[in-house]
Parts: sequence; C-alpha cells; structure tokens
Amino acid sequence: MNVNATDNVLMAEVGAGQVQKLAVLFERHHRGLFRYFVSLNRNREASEDLVQDVFFRMLRYRASYDPKQSFTAWMYQIARNASVDQAQKRRGEVIGIDEYTDKRADTAAGPEESAALGQDLTLLRQALDRLPPDKRELLVLSRFEGIRHEELARILDCEVGTVKVRVYRAMRALEQAYMGLLGEKTA
Amino acid sequence: MNCEEAKLDLGEYLSHSLTEARELEFAEHIATCEACRGETERLGTLWKGLALLPGMMPAPGDNVRERFYESLAAYRHGMASSRPTLKERFAAFWPAVAFAMLVVGVGIGYMARPAAPVANGTEVAQLRGEVSSMRQMVALSLMQQQSAGERLRGVSWAYRAAPQDTEVLSALLETVNNDGSVNVRMAAVDALHTFGSSPVTRTAIVQSIKKQTSPLVEIALIDLLVDLKASEMATELRKLEADASLEAGVRERARWAIGRLVQ
Repeated sequence: MNVNATDNVLMAEVGAGQVQKLAVLFERHHRGLFRYFVSLNRNREASEDLVQDVFFRMLRYRASYDPKQSFTAWMYQIARNASVDQAQKRRGEVIGIDEYTDKRADTAAGPEESAALGQDLTLLRQALDRLPPDKRELLVLSRFEGIRHEELARILDCEVGTVKVRVYRAMRALEQAYMGLLGEKTA
Repeated sequence: MNCEEAKLDLGEYLSHSLTEARELEFAEHIATCEACRGETERLGTLWKGLALLPGMMPAPGDNVRERFYESLAAYRHGMASSRPTLKERFAAFWPAVAFAMLVVGVGIGYMARPAAPVANGTEVAQLRGEVSSMRQMVALSLMQQQSAGERLRGVSWAYRAAPQDTEVLSALLETVNNDGSVNVRMAAVDALHTFGSSPVTRTAIVQSIKKQTSPLVEIALIDLLVDLKASEMATELRKLEADASLEAGVRERARWAIGRLVQ
C-alpha cells in the first residue's frame, strides 16, 4: 500500500474500489476529526461515534468523490453534516460541558509553554469554549487543522472574503472572552 | 493598505498564507499604524497559544481504531448490508434507553427538590431596580467617552442592562451607527443581541446596515439578524442581496442569511 500518496489520490483509489486504502486516510485524519468534534460538542463518546460515522459515510459516498477537489474540504463537509445529523438525533439530551477535560492530556502543554507565550493556556482553552459554535469551529479548522481560507470557504459554503471577515471576528471574540476570564481571575 | 483591509488579512498574515506582495503591504501598514500593530501583536499571541491547545485535548480512545478496522473488514467482506447482530440491535436501541433513563432521573430529581426560600418581594424588586439603574448609568457614561477603550467598556456594561432598557438600546444603536472605531461598532453589534427580542431593535439593525461604511460591521449586523432568527426581515435582506453598491461579500452573506431564515 502506498502510504505516501496524497489524500486526494488515496480517496480516488478508495472510490475506485480499493476500500482498504481508507485505512491510511483513517490513520492520517481520525485524530484531527476527533479534535474537531470534541471542540464542538465537548463530548468524548459522541465525538468517537462521529469519527466512525464520517469514515462510514466516506465509504458509502466514495463514488461521489471528485479527485480534482480537496479531500480535506470534502471530509470536513461530511463531518459537518454528520455533526448536524447527530445533534438533531440527540436533541434534548443533556451533555456535560466538561466531559472532554483529560488530565492525562493536560501534560502536553504545560506551564512552560504558557509562560513563554505570556498567557494562560487553560484560560485560553476556556475562552475558546465560551465562543459560539460557529466561531469555535472556524478557529479549530483554521488553527488546529491548518486549513487555508480557500478550503474553509468550500467547507463552509461561502466566499473567501466572508471567511476572512469571520476569522477576524472569531479572533476578536476569542480575545474578548480571554480578557474577560483574565479579569475574573484577577478580580 | 488601509486598516479595514489589514483586519481582513490578519488571519492569513498570522498563518503565513498571504502572498509575498500582500504580506509586505501588511507589514508596511502595521509599521505605520499603531492600532493595527497592537491588534496584530495581541491576536498573534492568542494565535500562537491556539496552536498549543490540541496538545491539551484528549486523544480518541483505542476503541475508535478497533471499531474502524472491524467496520472496514465487514464492509470489505460484503457484510455491511447483512442483518444486524443482537449486539448491534441493542446498540441501536441504546440511545433511546439512555434518554428514557435520563427523563426518569430528571423527574425524580424534580419531585425530590427542596422548597425554594420565600423572599421579601418588595425588597428584591427595589434592589433589582437600583442595580439596574446603576448599570445603565455606567454603560451610558462610558459609551460617551473620548477613548475607544472606555467606549468598549461601556458597550460591555450594556450586556448587564435589562432587555427593555430603551436608553441603553438607543445608546448602542447610536454607537453602531456613528462611532468612529470599527472595533467599538462591532462590539456594540454583539451587545445588541440582549435587546434582540424587540421588533424596534430588529428594524433598527436593518436600517443600520444601510448606514454602514464597513463591510465588517455590515456582515456582523446580518449575522445578528440570523442569530435572532429575524425571519420577518427576509424581504429587507433580499433588498441588500440585490444592492450593487454593497460589497460582494456582504451581498453573499445576505443571501446566506435568507437561506438560514427562510427554511
């Protein structure tokens, strides 16, 4: 199996019937997808289900994939649809907002990094949590997953100019939430 | 490059995805504009911090990988369309069972709740009135200050005003329409959300879009109408969508908003 092939080539091959190659795409992307979902719904179990759902939908709709288009954009479009479908199914259920707090993972970015940046990363994470879902989604996709504005426009089905405005507004909202939390902490 | 363009390019500047020529223009602008330089530094620090957050987040459990490979193997062997096993049938019913248990639990909790303490109604109303007046006074006085930072503080106080406080609403609308700073205008747009249930606010939002010179604020106002689910404003949004004097991004956002409001 060629594991150095680009995502687009691999997905095209999956579409042509070599479904075992989806495993390479899974290994490359399931963590990013999980982060995306858990940032939106703050629920580990639901996010793990959604990761499964996305790869299942990729198999199901593999024939519809156009290799000329970005695989990442296609995958996150599927992810957004899966997330909306699950939210509709789970409407009315109570989901704990802190379920994704993971002490084991907290060691990955400790006080040294915080100090180096002159900011409190725990507060920054809380500030991100306080943003409305659309702003949080935009920052997760652009910063966590490194998706460029052109691809974001495809994923969000809007113009690149709109993405620019929305990214700016999301950053401003993050700053306000962060400063608010900092004020609460020092008060 | 002006300040408005710099704000739009900020995200790509921070992620190093501007073209070389555009990045140079951006750098030249922030070298001479103190406000944009300050904003770039502040948001740039947050941007760097954001890159470290994935390391603080949980990783998916090992079962995710196991389940994926099981599903893939099943699919490859043509088992995806076969009859579900007993375990899979139970898995399908599990959300319904969990939900039923949740409803029963909430019901028991409600019935077993302690009685609420009885407060002196007049005292509470009086205190509430005093606090409300104080918040209004602070918000109104700060929004009239010379300094943009003080006006921003005033806008943040507006969140604490009562939704029926027409004086604070008027001050916010005045800020949205006439404040010299885009940042203050955008903060005021967000604060209008508190007053969004009033038809007066919704009409004022549409009128304000027409008065704006900044696409950033225009789009923020359109987004606010969507947040408020102001479907009665769809006709006005259609006019904006057809208005050739507006920027393409604003017209596109109006089209998006119509799609969201008229479903």
